Amino acid sequence: MAGRSALGKRTAIIRPGLSIYPGLMVSVLLLLLVCAVFVAVITTGLEQNTALSFDGVGRLLAFTTAQATASTLSALLLGTLLAWSLNHRRHFKGRRILLALLSVSMVLPTVVTALGLITVLGRNGWVNQGHLWLFGQDSGLSIYGIGGILIAHTWLNAPFISRGLLHRLEGIPVERLKLAASLRLSPWQRFKIVEWPALSVATPGLVMTVFLLCFTSFSIVLILGGSPNFNTLEVAIFEAVKLEFDLTRAAMLALVQLGVCGFLVMLAASLPQRSSAIAPPSFFHMWPDPIAARAIQTTVIVFFSLILTAPLSAVVMDGLHGDIFKILQDRLFRQAFLTSLIIAGLSSVLTIACALAIAATRRNLGSNLRTRQSNLSWLVGWLISFMGTGYLAMPSIVLGLGFFVIFQNLPMDTDHLAPLVLILANVLMALPFALVVFFPAMQKSGQRYDKLAFSLNIRGLARWRLIDWPSLRSEIGFVSALSFCLSLGDLGVIALFGNRDFITLPWLLYQNLGSYRTADASVIALVLLVLVTSVFLLLPALVEKRHHAGT
Amino acid sequence: MLELENIIFHYEDGTQIADYCFDLKIKTGEIAGITGRSGSGKSTCIDIISGFLSANSGRILVDGQEIGQLPPGLRPVTVLFQKNNLFDHLLVHQNVALGINTSLNLSKNEKRAITEALERVGLEHLKDAPSQRLSGGEQQRVALARSLVANRPVLLLDEPFSALDAEVREEMLSLVRGIVSDKNLATLLVTHDVNDCHKIANNHYDLKDGAFVVRSV
Repeated sequence: MAGRSALGKRTAIIRPGLSIYPGLMVSVLLLLLVCAVFVAVITTGLEQNTALSFDGVGRLLAFTTAQATASTLSALLLGTLLAWSLNHRRHFKGRRILLALLSVSMVLPTVVTALGLITVLGRNGWVNQGHLWLFGQDSGLSIYGIGGILIAHTWLNAPFISRGLLHRLEGIPVERLKLAASLRLSPWQRFKIVEWPALSVATPGLVMTVFLLCFTSFSIVLILGGSPNFNTLEVAIFEAVKLEFDLTRAAMLALVQLGVCGFLVMLAASLPQRSSAIAPPSFFHMWPDPIAARAIQTTVIVFFSLILTAPLSAVVMDGLHGDIFKILQDRLFRQAFLTSLIIAGLSSVLTIACALAIAATRRNLGSNLRTRQSNLSWLVGWLISFMGTGYLAMPSIVLGLGFFVIFQNLPMDTDHLAPLVLILANVLMALPFALVVFFPAMQKSGQRYDKLAFSLNIRGLARWRLIDWPSLRSEIGFVSALSFCLSLGDLGVIALFGNRDFITLPWLLYQNLGSYRTADASVIALVLLVLVTSVFLLLPALVEKRHHAGT
Repeated sequence: MLELENIIFHYEDGTQIADYCFDLKIKTGEIAGITGRSGSGKSTCIDIISGFLSANSGRILVDGQEIGQLPPGLRPVTVLFQKNNLFDHLLVHQNVALGINTSLNLSKNEKRAITEALERVGLEHLKDAPSQRLSGGEQQRVALARSLVANRPVLLLDEPFSALDAEVREEMLSLVRGIVSDKNLATLLVTHDVNDCHKIANNHYDLKDGAFVVRSV
């Protein structure tokens, strides 16, 4: 009986009551905010005669799409290979470090990644220096242009795909692996029959997310594009605002950007939701693969380890060679450091609060125990869950542009509102990821403990303290670190609003790069790298530890 | 005493329709055993009494008081589910304490009651153990200890011992019998094993075609 979902005359006695309102209010407020931005962009984009030729937009759109497609395919190929290799090689020294590196690379500020890649693959980079030393001539390799963009996007996104697919592979029920071994399936047959069905469930979502990330990529294209020929829509919007001060052109480009992203998000939402059996990760020891397969796995793992560590090592080494003490004492650096910490901290707290409220409302509306199911509750639940992913369709630069336009029309000094815009943009950027993490955990906790909690009359704050917080603490730790790091590395909105008085570390780093103060930029990059790595690896552990100390 | 007076419950989804009619009286200190096929309505009956489902019509009375409109937490009943009876992340004594004080700020008397309840189920030595480390039988004992401190007059057992091995199951049944007698609880035991009814129930009912059929014990 407990498993029944459709109810007929079955009605719930427990009312969701006040518990659905915080999430509903947060959703409505964010929706209004996004609508305001959308209206600002659309009215600006359509208010004057178009100065934008179709060819210009077509070329930008074509290049943006082409680079995003190529980047996604390349990240998918390498990410899948790495996930497959790591799944088959579960016991080697450094595996955990490699996994941690994969996670860190996902949240590393893109401007730091770009700097690391320049040090390795730039004109005077390690590869060219090595080539010169070995063969007496320059290799001709250049990081600037389409090649650099593809390499950087692959470097940033292959780890993301790899982690997602590895999770699926590790979750294949152990009985299936045993069956495959007992049938003596070759590695290829095993991949086709056992592993691919597990991977194919997660692949469309991952591909869509990575494509969207590459399509809306800003910092990488800004730094490594090198020429207007390699401009994407996002960079063209930035240039229209900051260099040409042509808000109409910027708004029109933003509308194109919004249209494409909206279409992609809807496409992703309409993908059939297939499920496959997934078990908790098992450390079932696989039968050894043939030597050729093992050679491929080793090569992939070594190759990836080098590819991942080289730019990070470059950032560390260059940073340590810079004048660290001079930078640390610099007033502008201190100001940027403090601003970054405050903005990232507030963004993280706000993201967690909003995501928890929305996830709780979504859970409560979907629970047969709590809510009398009706078309209205279904509609509200759908709206909330759609808005969770809908924000992905609003790139931060478009959001920034919307606020920029709104501020232009306000009869007051709006400089002091810039931090607020940055925080809101960071929250909207991190919210879809936070919801993806929180909602399943909250739903699981509800399914497991709702009946017991209701029968014991555990409600309100007691419920949060005794049930929800312990059930969600590791997710809260992870999301707080994730949103902190994403906020810390943002270069999109600050590029529109940054000035001498309002400056963050990525913006300061970009300005130093732009004025060829590479040594100073290297030190700032090192600070960002250390900060992000420490927060991402230590914060979740601290949350866990604090909980255990408390019980 | 627990009384179900002409409880009617209609259920339908896309694939099935079912109608139930429950009439039952369980006196204090008595155990009524209910058996029946899967889907016969055993757990539905427990869900209606405990407040997780509302009946279309009829009355539920405990010691003469109508409880049908109360939310689950305020009904004078304790439920032992088949699984998930404990909060895994809490300690054993904290799980028991939730039966009397959900804030877990306990008075001396409450602490004493918890210790006594754990002694009664033979688990005082595991008082400070994390609940997730307990065996299945131990977890159900802790849940029973909680029902002791909660001190509610009706005990509902929704196949709580079905996953236990024969020896532990035997111990649990005898423990339940003892607690029901000590505390004078009106108890409803849902089980798929007729032998359970024969061992501890005063009355045995079979759920057939949506209604109780009396069987001999």
